[in-house]
Amino acid sequence: MSGIGMVLNIATSALNAQQYGLGVTAQNIANVNTEGYSRQNPVLVAEQPLLYEGLLLGRGVNTEQVSRSSDQFIENKLMQEKSNMSSSSEMEKYMQVLEGFFNENSGTSISTMVSDFWNGWYDISNNPSGPSERISLYEQSLLLSEQFNSLETDLIQIDTDLTGAVTSGIETINKITHEIAQVNGQIVSMEANNVANDLRDKRNTLLSELNEYLDVQAFEQSDGSLTVVAARGCTLVQGNSDYELEMGGPNGDRVTWQSSNGSYVDITNYLTNGKLGGWLDIRDEIIAKNQLDLDALAKEFIWSVNQQHSQGVGLEGFSSVTGEYAVTNPGSAITSSGLSYQDKVDDNNKTFKIWLFDADGDPYDSDTGTTGLQGNPITITVTSGMTTNDLVTAINNETGVQASIDSQYRLNISIDTLEIASLGSLAFSDDDSNVLAAFGINTFFTGSSSGNMGVNDTIGLNKNFIAAAQVGSDGTMASGDNNNALAITDLQSTSMSISQWTCDRINGNTQGSITSTIEDYYHSMVGAIGITSASVSRDRSFAEMMVNELSTIRDSISAVSLDEEMTNLIKFQHAYAAAAKLIGVSDEMLNTLLELK
Amino acid sequence: MRVANKSVYDAVKYNLGSIYEELNKANEIATTGKRINNLSDDPVGLTQSLNIRSTLSSIEQMGRNISHGNSWLTASESALTNVQNIISDTKALCVQMASGTTGSDQRASAAESVQNMLDEIVSLANTDVAGNYIFAGSKTDTIPFGQNGTYIGDNNPFTIKISQNSTFEIGSDGQAVFGTVFNTLVDLKAALQGNDVSGIQDAMDKLDTHFDDISGKISDVGSKMNRMEIKDRIYQDLNFSNTERLSKIEDADIAEAIMNVKAAELTYQAALASSSKVMTLTLVDYLK
Repeated sequence: MSGIGMVLNIATSALNAQQYGLGVTAQNIANVNTEGYSRQNPVLVAEQPLLYEGLLLGRGVNTEQVSRSSDQFIENKLMQEKSNMSSSSEMEKYMQVLEGFFNENSGTSISTMVSDFWNGWYDISNNPSGPSERISLYEQSLLLSEQFNSLETDLIQIDTDLTGAVTSGIETINKITHEIAQVNGQIVSMEANNVANDLRDKRNTLLSELNEYLDVQAFEQSDGSLTVVAARGCTLVQGNSDYELEMGGPNGDRVTWQSSNGSYVDITNYLTNGKLGGWLDIRDEIIAKNQLDLDALAKEFIWSVNQQHSQGVGLEGFSSVTGEYAVTNPGSAITSSGLSYQDKVDDNNKTFKIWLFDADGDPYDSDTGTTGLQGNPITITVTSGMTTNDLVTAINNETGVQASIDSQYRLNISIDTLEIASLGSLAFSDDDSNVLAAFGINTFFTGSSSGNMGVNDTIGLNKNFIAAAQVGSDGTMASGDNNNALAITDLQSTSMSISQWTCDRINGNTQGSITSTIEDYYHSMVGAIGITSASVSRDRSFAEMMVNELSTIRDSISAVSLDEEMTNLIKFQHAYAAAAKLIGVSDEMLNTLLELK
Repeated sequence: MRVANKSVYDAVKYNLGSIYEELNKANEIATTGKRINNLSDDPVGLTQSLNIRSTLSSIEQMGRNISHGNSWLTASESALTNVQNIISDTKALCVQMASGTTGSDQRASAAESVQNMLDEIVSLANTDVAGNYIFAGSKTDTIPFGQNGTYIGDNNPFTIKISQNSTFEIGSDGQAVFGTVFNTLVDLKAALQGNDVSGIQDAMDKLDTHFDDISGKISDVGSKMNRMEIKDRIYQDLNFSNTERLSKIEDADIAEAIMNVKAAELTYQAALASSSKVMTLTLVDYLK
């Protein structure tokens, strides 16, 4: 029946289809700036023709579906690169902060301060009896210690900030996975009839956001839902359920995932990409390494200066001196007593000397028991396995000197005026057992790491205790003697073995060591930070370029072109007008028929 | 390839961003005059420049040590030259006093001048530089010579470093420098008082030896000052060459830096001009 009714039917279907097309075009234009939107196309199909009087006649047009221009492969690739980019751009940000801490262009850099420290000892060696050189060295050393301390504080601060960033990152992740699970549910119920274009776009956008935080794998199931899996096979989304990440571990700084059996899996070290990966790389590899290296440097620096300082004597001797380092157990061998520098002690029958002086500073002869022009020292032998208690006993067995352990488990050595009334002071020399420096007696610095480094209060209160001199072999002290100061300046060019750490999140922290001077070690440490920072910046700019390239490809497939849409607009408008014309013509034809008499 | 509107805007954003970053970097180099403004700009160069800076700081310190040493050596030289003159005067006096025409009165009054000369030598032997006695060994804060030249210093000459690995004596063991000069003068005084011509002649011989000894010490000090001067010149050269190296590593070539700024500026302007054109082009403008 190729009647007028048929033309009207076809015209109606055309009006519908073109109107639908306009609707889709309108939706495309509206979303021209929407992130992650894939342009849509109405798929028009000619209706099944009918056989009419031996001829096939069309029945109009039908909008079969609205398809979405999207290439999932490119979408996935883009997500991965975005994940890379957020990782490296977060790292770059923190590296810039770290660079600032080690900035060498200011006068307050550790490098300048260390140079000034050695120069301070040179100035003392030029004028060992001058008070101003001593005060200036003390002030410089104090500044240097404070700079070490504040660098340590800064590093700890970044560490804390990063843990904070990870914690809030995890909250965002949990929010996103929750939304993905919801969208999954909506897609599954909607796609029973249609393709849920906009919901799929929304889910892709969410997945892309998730990828910016951590690297995930996503698989589409046959029912249209997306399963999202993070590192080590931890499922974050399955169907319309989501599984949360939590901060855990003894310090609350580890990323954990609760498995279906309720146990927590620590996935911290396996998060390599996204912001989380970047933050954790900085925290657990770069900051951790610099903290350990800085501590190792401070430890060796403090020790080398203290070890040499403890061999010398200042402008006056001590009447009583208390060590700076405490033991945890006075009854165990000094080499395992809990002293910060216990491993430096040599108890293989090594010795140190104690010299006694009367109140005028004249040397006391321990052999003859007289005071005069010449002195003779007391020699203490450190025998194998000697405990702190043994050492105290050994010193107490000598005449004129006494030792004790104070309430904080520190060693005290003082003159014994009950045994010899004329005594005024004592001094030390020739310690090849390193016991004095290990107990912190007659030392310059205190502490054993970057965070707790300081200058000995004994020196702070009386700069005369800065040991520029050494007791002469005849037991005399000369104010113009600068031998110990000169020996300390030698340390500037002395290479020593200093620990150097390698921090790797998978393999853990490994301790190695290099032989270097204090200054060279610090310089190469600063250089290494620069190298890391430069390479992170390069990674970031490469990832940014990749993202840019892939975005262009993705957009060439999926994004809206206004020119196209305007063309479509006109296309559908004209087709609509033409279909309307069909109705008009049919109308006229019907009128013509009806007017027949 | 199909170009979406979003791609146009994204490309404009990305390109303008990266060109602006370049412009900013070029500008930073030109305005600071430094090639290295952050650790990451050139980590290897930075490590080198840190090493050079610490070398420069040491060189400066060595310069201070040398000038400190020089003040001691200059003081030694002038004290010893004066001592030598006094010895020479004393000898002239002896020649006069040993003559047969000189009477015992004249000799007795000459004994007074000898005492004055002795006092003067003692005071020269107690020369100090800023409170530190230079002929006292390492007991630099105690007056080394008592009346008539009794020595209470020690025998370890005061030493400083003029390079990181070598020490240099700038003070002296007073006993070694002056030897028995004081005894000779004390003996001479006694001989004059006792009108003892042969004693005066003995002293004359000894004074000759002392004169030669002190001459030896003076030339010793002179040669030390020479060594110091050579060292100082070496440090000045090192200072110069290291400063130059530091500048080569750290400082920007200003002409190049400004050219880079100009080039980046030009690129940026071109990008702005073409971007503003591209962004306004759309079919919408042509449809009525």
